[in-house]
Amino acid sequence: MPAVTVLGLEGSANKVGAGLVRDGRVLSNPRRTFVPAPGQGFLPGQTARHHRGCVLAVLREALQEAGLEPADVDCVAYTKGPGMGAPLVTVAVVARTLAQLWNKPLLGVNHCVGHIEMGRLITGAQNPTVLYVSGGNTQVIAYSERRYRIFGETIDIAVGNCLDRFARVLKISNDPSPGYNIEQMAKKGQKLVELPYTVKGMDVSFSGILSHIEEVAHKMLASGECTPEDLCFSLQETLFAMLVEITERAMAHCGSQEALVVGGVGCNMRLQEMMRIMCAERGAKLFATDERFCIDNGAMIAQAGWEMFRTGQVTQLEDSWITQSAVWWGTPPDRGRAQQAPAQAAHGTQASESPWQHRRGQLSVRRR
Amino acid sequence: MEEAGAARAGLGFTLSVPFPSPLEAQIAHGSLAPDPEPRKGGISKELTVTENFLHVCWKADEARILRVSISSFLDHLSLVIQTMEMFGPPVPR
Repeated sequence: MPAVTVLGLEGSANKVGAGLVRDGRVLSNPRRTFVPAPGQGFLPGQTARHHRGCVLAVLREALQEAGLEPADVDCVAYTKGPGMGAPLVTVAVVARTLAQLWNKPLLGVNHCVGHIEMGRLITGAQNPTVLYVSGGNTQVIAYSERRYRIFGETIDIAVGNCLDRFARVLKISNDPSPGYNIEQMAKKGQKLVELPYTVKGMDVSFSGILSHIEEVAHKMLASGECTPEDLCFSLQETLFAMLVEITERAMAHCGSQEALVVGGVGCNMRLQEMMRIMCAERGAKLFATDERFCIDNGAMIAQAGWEMFRTGQVTQLEDSWITQSAVWWGTPPDRGRAQQAPAQAAHGTQASESPWQHRRGQLSVRRR
Repeated sequence: MEEAGAARAGLGFTLSVPFPSPLEAQIAHGSLAPDPEPRKGGISKELTVTENFLHVCWKADEARILRVSISSFLDHLSLVIQTMEMFGPPVPR
């Protein structure tokens, strides 16, 4: 079977990236990040404007770095969702134009599946329990019977969102990312401040700990009770312990020997360390990637697109609309086998099944 | 995709954008038509192609909603045109 080269375009949050992947090899993966001023978050309109301004330059860079011409690209993958509406449209519009200019198939990819497929590709994890943690997502996922199933998740905000909004309270710089700067400050923390710990069965909740720390931070700093570094350290320790707990719960339910951390928050070395300790205690192995692939990037979209394409799935233009939510259509790629897909799948969507399925674990492992 | 409710609209706007060829007008249509209006009510737009022209016809209840939609459309149209300039012309069919 001839090699298939996929271009992947990503722009669902404040990162815009273009990646070229050929049969599992990442040929290039440049990216740009929209960084708001300290104390601010990023809004859809300004983020889309940023992406509009540089997506074509990033795409050119991807081709140049890979040493490829447009004619070498076999299909164009882009993030169909989930994410922020305006930035998603910006990238989708470019992807559709390229696919039509070059007369190549278009592949609308689920952003979450992109993270997971890239994590598996880079680390070689076979069938891991996945902890997907980013600014927009916090889920514990396992692949079972042709579908990614959510075993546990946040019932309100994502862990990365909690960290980003805490950074705004202390006006921590957003360059290169608020989470990175919190991590560096946390390394210098000396004191563990008690913060609300909210695990609810298989799920977690972060809005309570966020509103608590927003309320007490300035008072505690003003009274000298702790330093900003102590708060960063305490927040990380608490948030990450919650994530470790729900991941372990899912691993116990599945009898899993592998854990994979993906998403921007997965870059955090302290989270990786805590996960590694938990895995070691269970005789399991932890897989993680570095910032090239943890943080949103184009190559992960290309990789997930490649998996789709191999099973005969493409996205028709009229079905290529973007969506802010993760639940829409179609089945994820059937991994491990490039099988002949039914004709319906080859023509794109209309499937009534969702790639996401909530299934609550029947075993609840009580800790503490 | 058409939005319900815009039939009551009092305001309308039509834009006709020329392209170098009918194929390029169709490509622009293919890129710009799939996404629904972010706003669920009070605005609708319809995209059509005749020869080398892309026509966009808006109906809206309020001027500011119409303005936002047109402005957003022009940003995306501009991006499509830049993409065509950088990576076009379309490969022969």
